[in-house]
Amino acid sequence: MLWICLLLPDLPLEIFTRGQSSVISGTGAPRFAIASGGHYPLIVAANQAARAAGIVPGQSVSAALVLAPDLVLRDRLLDAETSALAGVAMWLTQFTPMVSLSPPQALLAEIDGSLRLFGGLRVLLQRIVSGIRALGYSLHCKWAPTPTAALLLARAGQGPSVTRSEDLADALAPLSLAHLGASADVVALLRAAGVTTFGAACALPRDGLARRTSGEFVAALDRARGLAPDPQLPFIPPARYEGKLELPVPISEVAALGFAVNRLVHELSGWLLGRGRGVIELSIAMAHERYIGVRTGVPATTLRFALASPAREPAHLTAVLRERLARVALPAPVESIVLASEVTAPLTGRNLGLLPGDEALITVPLLDRLRARLGEDAVLRVAPLSEHRPERAWQAQSWNASASPPRSSTTHPGVKATPLPSGPRPLWLLSEPAPLGATFETTPWVLRDGPERIESGWWDGADIRRDYFTAESPRGEMLWIYRDSRYGDDGEWFLQGMFA
Amino acid sequence: MTHSLALVLQNPAIWRGGDCAPEPAAIASGFPSLDAVLPGSGWPTGALTEILLAREGIGEISLTLPALARLQAGHRDIVWIAPPHVPYAPALAAAGLDLTRFIFVRCATAADQLWAYEQALRAPECGAAFAWLATSDDRVLRRLQVAARDGGTWGVLWRRPGQHAVAAAAPLRLALAPQEGQLAVQVLKRRGGEVVHPILLDVHSLGASRSSCATLTRSDPRTSTGRWN
Repeated sequence: MLWICLLLPDLPLEIFTRGQSSVISGTGAPRFAIASGGHYPLIVAANQAARAAGIVPGQSVSAALVLAPDLVLRDRLLDAETSALAGVAMWLTQFTPMVSLSPPQALLAEIDGSLRLFGGLRVLLQRIVSGIRALGYSLHCKWAPTPTAALLLARAGQGPSVTRSEDLADALAPLSLAHLGASADVVALLRAAGVTTFGAACALPRDGLARRTSGEFVAALDRARGLAPDPQLPFIPPARYEGKLELPVPISEVAALGFAVNRLVHELSGWLLGRGRGVIELSIAMAHERYIGVRTGVPATTLRFALASPAREPAHLTAVLRERLARVALPAPVESIVLASEVTAPLTGRNLGLLPGDEALITVPLLDRLRARLGEDAVLRVAPLSEHRPERAWQAQSWNASASPPRSSTTHPGVKATPLPSGPRPLWLLSEPAPLGATFETTPWVLRDGPERIESGWWDGADIRRDYFTAESPRGEMLWIYRDSRYGDDGEWFLQGMFA
Repeated sequence: MTHSLALVLQNPAIWRGGDCAPEPAAIASGFPSLDAVLPGSGWPTGALTEILLAREGIGEISLTLPALARLQAGHRDIVWIAPPHVPYAPALAAAGLDLTRFIFVRCATAADQLWAYEQALRAPECGAAFAWLATSDDRVLRRLQVAARDGGTWGVLWRRPGQHAVAAAAPLRLALAPQEGQLAVQVLKRRGGEVVHPILLDVHSLGASRSSCATLTRSDPRTSTGRWN
């Protein structure tokens, strides 16, 4: 067993800052801090620029405002922190099925079974760390043979990680007991006795310690050292992905949303990979500034987008969403974004690249790019229908993966050819039959083929009775013309198609 | 003698008037007499072909169908951007095209059409991209030509009747006109020597009906009904 603990120390801050690159760091970044609620609000977290101004967590908000009057303050959102943690857990399911939440700020994952697949501990860790950075979080990462020990090491933030059970006791010994999560009474009692470290507590007589503290404390010491079973509650990823991202400052430019959307797309991609599925239909909802929403009643802007085939590559999804977003006009600044997977389908796993950089070869299918920019109604597939009336014998549909049959990997020409036996059909069809009128009067036309009588549709009011000919006009065009014979054999002539 | 002459002629310093530039990638058009005059013996993949039409409905699409079917057999898509009429699905299917690899794009604005055309030309999965555009901007055409080269796509820029085209960046330019029930293909420009005479192709495979023709005039409508009696 090898457990990895991912501690997100700046989670209260990062649920806001991860939506905008410029807020996190840099010289021009605004001073940004999170305050707890209540009558006497305290600073919970502050970004780099704010810390440089002397703002530290635990300070009162009024003191912070004296130090930096331009400080941007947001209230702490505990619910958003919980769901952000769950979002990271969803992303993590692509590496291991056993992920466990350890609120408020940590995740535990069992990775022993995944080491071989991903090419060893070092490679796996690098992927996890860089992936979580791409989600917009900073993290401390420690691993140990037991989950409690991994958590302890991560919270202490010091000491090396451990892979072998034999080294566990030595590694844990110097750590402070405060990180074990035991009750404050127990920690105070032991401190009064001069016992502050894990190693010192373990050295105490066991039964006496159990009598003076609680059974729970001794059990925690045992679990950390691997002497007692250490079960964790597994995180079950939801059947539908829904990721929400709060923006640090409202954004009114669509282009600036791309960065934030990218974060959510990464999360979605990990969730899809964990479930072995690809997304077909996405929705993205952009909530507008709250006070404007209340005053003028601007509802959230919601987009739904369907892909031509199931996909989960972040580059693919980001490119498609960027094009789709570019066509949106925002009625008001956006305060938060929610990305959700509406329809998914199974998608077989991809092979990891043999050489580094192989993943970069993945490109966005042309079909998705066209549909994202031009709209789903502009990019069509055509199909023949079983119908005698020529103008109804075809249809144009959009390329939705949920609606259309899968694209063939092997071609079968002619399998779905004209469903009904018919004469020659033109490659161009005019949208409306054009009356030929007196065209024939000057020069004769040559009839090459015909007549083909098509008489159908008396039941639905679009009754036709036509005699079709392939005709060559004096100018050399091959045309598909018909005579409307509904009212006798001397009806009007119409042009309906061209043998292009 | 002939062998030694051929050896001498292989010298790259010798250039003959009738030669075509070596065209690395081409797809056979399905018409041997046309292939004979096209550089690389076929439609150029990875280049723009400009086709000028004297009329519509003279078999211009039929001319391209064998090559399109061949591209689809290689699992590549076909994209038609802003065609002037509806591509009629029953006829396309009957001609052997795989409609699951046929993408039909309708765009409202010229800017969207150009964007879509460039994307299609650049996409490696797209085998042939046809567009019916009115643009004659030389910079735009050059950009499209570069896109076709990058994507290895056979791009055809169709010029509808009346669209007077000036000299364009497309390395292959053809003019199509009807001639006695056949399609006359005049090579206006190619990477090679000049082709003086148009090539006559029989693209309308109407077969047997050709023999039994009837003449239709407005004044004598009975002529057309003659075959019924």
